[in-house]
Amino acid sequence: MTKHMVRALGVGLLAVAAACVETDRVLPQPPSLDAQLRQTLGQWGVVPILPQAPQNPALVALGQALFFDKELSGNRDIACATCHTTANGMGDGRSLAVGTGGTGVGPGRTLGPGRQFIPRNAPTLLNVALGLPYAFWDGRVSGFAGFFQSPADSALPAGLPNILAAQAMFPVTNRREMRGVPGDTDVFGKPNELAQYGDSQWTEMWRGVMLRLVAIPAYVAKFNAAFPGVATSQLEFRHAATAIAAFETQALTKIDSPFDRYLRRDDNAMTEAEKRGALLFFGKATCSSCHNGPLIGTGGFVDVGVPQIGPGGATEPPRDLGRGDLAGNDFYRFAFRIAPLRNVELSAPYFHDGAYPTLESVVSHYNDVRTSITTFDSMQLAPDVRATYHGDAATITAVLDRLDFRLSQPLHLTVAERADLVAFLKSLTDPSARNLSSLVPPSVPSGLPVQ
Amino acid sequence: MNLLRQRTAMLGAVLLVLGGRASAQIIPIRTVPLAQGDQFLLFPSSNLGMGGVSIALSDSLFDPFRNPALGVRVDAAHLFVAPTAYSSSRETGGGRTLPIALIARTGAWFGGFAGAVQQIERSRPFSFSPPFAVALPRGGPVATQDVASDNRSHGNSYAFATLGKSLGVTGVSVGGSVQWSTLHALDGVDLLYPGSQGLSQSGHVLDLRLGLNKEWSGNRSLEILALHDRFAMTQDVSYIDVFWDPGLQQFVQAPRVERNRDRNRTTGLHVAYQRPLTSTGWRIGLIGTANIVSSPRIATNEIVTVPRDQGRATALNLGVGFSKARGLALFGVDVVYEPIWSNSWAVADVPMLTVGGETIPAGGRTIVNRFRFSNVVLRLGVAQEMALTNLQKAVRLDLGLGVRSMHYRLTQEDRLAATEHPLRNSWVEWSPTWGLSLRFPDLELRYRGRVLNGTGRPSPSFNFGGPVPLDSFAPNNLVVTPGETINLAGVTTITHQISLSLPLR
Repeated sequence: MTKHMVRALGVGLLAVAAACVETDRVLPQPPSLDAQLRQTLGQWGVVPILPQAPQNPALVALGQALFFDKELSGNRDIACATCHTTANGMGDGRSLAVGTGGTGVGPGRTLGPGRQFIPRNAPTLLNVALGLPYAFWDGRVSGFAGFFQSPADSALPAGLPNILAAQAMFPVTNRREMRGVPGDTDVFGKPNELAQYGDSQWTEMWRGVMLRLVAIPAYVAKFNAAFPGVATSQLEFRHAATAIAAFETQALTKIDSPFDRYLRRDDNAMTEAEKRGALLFFGKATCSSCHNGPLIGTGGFVDVGVPQIGPGGATEPPRDLGRGDLAGNDFYRFAFRIAPLRNVELSAPYFHDGAYPTLESVVSHYNDVRTSITTFDSMQLAPDVRATYHGDAATITAVLDRLDFRLSQPLHLTVAERADLVAFLKSLTDPSARNLSSLVPPSVPSGLPVQ
Repeated sequence: MNLLRQRTAMLGAVLLVLGGRASAQIIPIRTVPLAQGDQFLLFPSSNLGMGGVSIALSDSLFDPFRNPALGVRVDAAHLFVAPTAYSSSRETGGGRTLPIALIARTGAWFGGFAGAVQQIERSRPFSFSPPFAVALPRGGPVATQDVASDNRSHGNSYAFATLGKSLGVTGVSVGGSVQWSTLHALDGVDLLYPGSQGLSQSGHVLDLRLGLNKEWSGNRSLEILALHDRFAMTQDVSYIDVFWDPGLQQFVQAPRVERNRDRNRTTGLHVAYQRPLTSTGWRIGLIGTANIVSSPRIATNEIVTVPRDQGRATALNLGVGFSKARGLALFGVDVVYEPIWSNSWAVADVPMLTVGGETIPAGGRTIVNRFRFSNVVLRLGVAQEMALTNLQKAVRLDLGLGVRSMHYRLTQEDRLAATEHPLRNSWVEWSPTWGLSLRFPDLELRYRGRVLNGTGRPSPSFNFGGPVPLDSFAPNNLVVTPGETINLAGVTTITHQISLSLPLR
């Protein structure tokens, strides 16, 4: 019996020893949409956005008036709101914006005699107050916490509270956008005094605009209410820019989309198709390699192989080198700002020159960029812009030479996947951003018509 | 639908089962090979070292606790102390329990009391790094708010009482028992919330049993047990959420507490019959068990996949066992087949539209998971007692092996998407056991041990881009619905129990 016991003990000890072997395993469980999506969102730093703090009402009221008032333009014929219309998602619905001298508003706006298109698409102003590090398609205004880089360099006044205010300093100085050219007369036939300044006379240009504004008693009252500690004689255009920024912050922050609600842990906020699209966006389609973070974009500049349209930039017209047009940025030839994507559904057409009219066409472009640019059909452009398409082989090759490596190969998205991606992009729309007509004031202090 | 609710109910139920409470009476329902400690191994057992064989072999220590009518077999008052400790490898948890029990008989009446205090350690993930990678952009430092992570161990307490009576010459005895468990920790539950900063658990288990035992001459016996078990647990899970503050233009953190509730009710009937096979010492035992389980509230986890809020299950087992005593040697083997049908479903909080255009009203089922289990349990063990100097002093050695083969098919119906997903899964758990007993005229000292292998604990891992295999696991029991790739790091769980039995005179 003792022998049996010893044998049994031996076998038992072996079994015990064997049982101490740890074996990892992966269970073949099918993936879950919500579980995958939530973890993926975390990986890409996509987190909920807190509400904006309420802005000073007097500041907002002043900013709203300024935003819709053509008094700020040299020819008194164009306001911020002319190219950033409430009916077009705070863009203009056009591929390329039409500046001073133009007529009409929105997609139907037409060039004035002898005028050229603004080289780039008027970007939406929705959610520009969320903390973008760059302004303009080429990011020529950048900075944070009161320290900004801009074309004005040291002429940019101190005291601007945020990049939005810094950005608002510049459209009034741009000849095509709002200032006009020497010899222009305003809508009343009076000479355009703002056009007389040289392009580097920043301080004079801003002072000229302020002289117009403080000549209007209603504006003086609004400025005094918004800046009670600042004497009228001490008012500068930075105060106007600050007010415009406050208005944009207060009125144009739209962060209650289904996706935002999903981020706030409402699993029912998004449909299955939207969730599938989100998984593609943050996965196979690699969109999130650029469009990530809380704002789903704005992290840099990329050449995504967009067809060249328009009069072009300063360096190699008619080509638009984007950020590469800025001094010292040759590396960024044809690279443009990565746009934040909330409410993207409302800001068609897309890319820096509005080359693609729909989200579907954008997704198709990304699915195979090389094929998309080489087979680009300019007929999808509005007739007045069509002639400015640069489809020559040299331009296409130049653009593709700098194409971001992540887009060098087709994504091979199926039709269904592309549809899901579009569904996801549409889930980024805050319903309250669809109708912004209440933002349009009945009148402005200058008495000029409000579009 | 609260995604965070399910796991603990499952886990709790399974733990309740896996403990020494009633290896046959409450049938475990598990969908993943999750390692579980012997948290509920509260009472001493003679047969634990023999793989836990029980169908054709009586367990003089444990029987009165699993079926109150079996207290009739107690011949004298005994005081039991059975300190038990278990730990999972890779530092993934453990616990210690100190139970004390008194079983006594006077005339036709018999009964007992037991109490236990317990400390459960926090289970620690192997490695965990925040899931932020490439996406945190510029924007200054992250504003933080202190929320201490919960590294404490937690205590549980248990109270048990049983009372029975022998009905005299009929050979029939009846009894009832009640067990109340106050719980502040379930082993491994903190692993269900890998992204949490803290977890506060509170709950209870109420276990009611009515037993009947009939013994005939010739060592034949029949026992019948009816039980009702109520499990209620609440977890307050603390998280740190990250937000983007557009005013500050930086990330900020804010605490969030999520409350998850688990509610399970099990009603069961267990029948067991034993008799000698031949005059050569062989015995045969047969068991049959039925459990009806309902889960009106199910806790799930944020990384659990498919939502499910409620569930129901029917679990059966049919088993046969053999044992043989030859001199001072003992051998036993059990084979049990467990067919289980389990359904769980997710409930719509608001009316939801299906792809077919139909509306599922609030309260309607959006996802239905149908499990069909076919599990097999094998237990076998040997014991050899050797007299030291005379029959009043003896040493006994035990060896055993328990094997549990789990297999299930799942059909998952998504009524929103009008799709069905089939899934099969299976695994084998095995646990060698051992024991050493010293018996003296005035006390019995026993050591029992077992090591559970073939199970694991969640292993966090994060991928970037592309489909993401999640770092979690679906929990166990009836209503758990797998929905993600589960990474389990294999662990072994070792249990040691020392029991001291003192006859009271």
